[in-house]
Amino acid sequence: MTAPVDVPRPILTAPWLATQIIPSPEIAIDHGTAFFGMQWQLTPVLYSFGVNRRISPWRGFVVDPFARQSGSVEGFISPEFIAHSGNFSDQWSVRIGTRAYFPLVDHGETLSASIGAAVSTVHEGAADYEAGIYTLYGFIGGVVTYSPTPDAPRWIFTLKIRVF
Amino acid sequence: MDPKGISSTRNARNGMFLSGLAILLGATTPACVVAKSMDALVSTPQSVPHKIQNPKRADARLAVLWIGHATTLIQIDDVFILTDPVFTKSVGGLSARLIEPGLDAANLPQVNVALISHLHFDHLSLDTLDMIQHKIDRLYVPKGGFAYLPDYSFESHELGWWKSVQLGDRPDSLKITAVPVQHNGMRYGIDIAWMKTSYTGYVIQYHGITVYYGGDTAFNAKDFSDTSDLFPSIDLAILPIGPIKPRSIMEAMHEDPPEALDAMALLHAKTMIPIHFDTFVNSVDEFGDAARLLDAQVKARHLEDKVFRLEIGQQKVVITK
Repeated sequence: MTAPVDVPRPILTAPWLATQIIPSPEIAIDHGTAFFGMQWQLTPVLYSFGVNRRISPWRGFVVDPFARQSGSVEGFISPEFIAHSGNFSDQWSVRIGTRAYFPLVDHGETLSASIGAAVSTVHEGAADYEAGIYTLYGFIGGVVTYSPTPDAPRWIFTLKIRVF
Repeated sequence: MDPKGISSTRNARNGMFLSGLAILLGATTPACVVAKSMDALVSTPQSVPHKIQNPKRADARLAVLWIGHATTLIQIDDVFILTDPVFTKSVGGLSARLIEPGLDAANLPQVNVALISHLHFDHLSLDTLDMIQHKIDRLYVPKGGFAYLPDYSFESHELGWWKSVQLGDRPDSLKITAVPVQHNGMRYGIDIAWMKTSYTGYVIQYHGITVYYGGDTAFNAKDFSDTSDLFPSIDLAILPIGPIKPRSIMEAMHEDPPEALDAMALLHAKTMIPIHFDTFVNSVDEFGDAARLLDAQVKARHLEDKVFRLEIGQQKVVITK
């Protein structure tokens, strides 16, 4: 039986908004110098290929961990703050990109991985590439981001925290 | 019996880091429970001696094998119903199993129907369903349950409260009805705001025998009375009796043993088997608390011949041929 099934759609709530404020701490290594940073994430659109085929695979902004970690492709926007020397406004940037998640253990709830690519407002739209691994339904993970821009290569190591 | 010394303060210290993490994450598992779970997570669960190899009982019209927590294998004549199957060593990554499953998954018979009462990690185990999917014919989840149920090889269906499905043409063929209970339908915490229907109890009817499965419920007199009105002859109620403490928090979600016996009375159930205790570290209860309180209440109410408290792995023939 493959008739579509309606399930409750994730909705924007105050607790969800509160959890989105929690930053993911990171260390950025730029020209051989390490700087502390933080990043946040919005997910305007996500397509899940891990959810039941009888429900909608599309999510926007409020994304349940199962839809994401069980296998998905998302478009994301990540505001980022890196405390390097310079003006406060220059320490902020935005990364816009796509990321794919792959379930590794327990439909991704126990362990999942991701790869992604983005463009950043740092250094006039430098491209960067990333890989990550997640546990506890995606609540916590580690992501390594590398920007191979010749005049400004940098690495970012992020402790990804996402409650929902 | 206190497997893994779950009450020790040493465990609490070992768990401080992860407890802090749990608080930071706003995880659905309370931090103090995570702390208690630490040693158990890295230990081997206590073994169950003399496990049953072949659970099919030729002498039974109704038999129940308690596999642990809310997982029971119910045999009614020639059909098997499996409730909230969990065979994993932990649930949700943070809650450790104290005692191994009372039946090896390899010895599970072909299950006609598996029932999922709600979507919490200790009731909907995706890993377990991967493991045993070839032994399940069909599975029912509460309404909204498909949100977190991936595709498996068996048939799966949602069943909303007071909805029934009959599997067969005969009047006494297997019939499953979802009945309301008092709990919640979330899985990850934040989703409690919209997962408002995905928890249920079930009534199973076959060949004139009626079994009530409460899943995980608080005491709700109306729910039990309404169910009894529709099903006036319940032969067996399988009811949760924990977690108990802290009562001010748990009472909205979980029956304690006295309430389970009150529920049995409201359901007019002839017999009762308690579940949902002494399997996973999922509360601040000491190991054995629920069983001791139930035993005392059963004695005080003179229900010794109607309430069967099983050990994990034990099978009870409730109605003989």
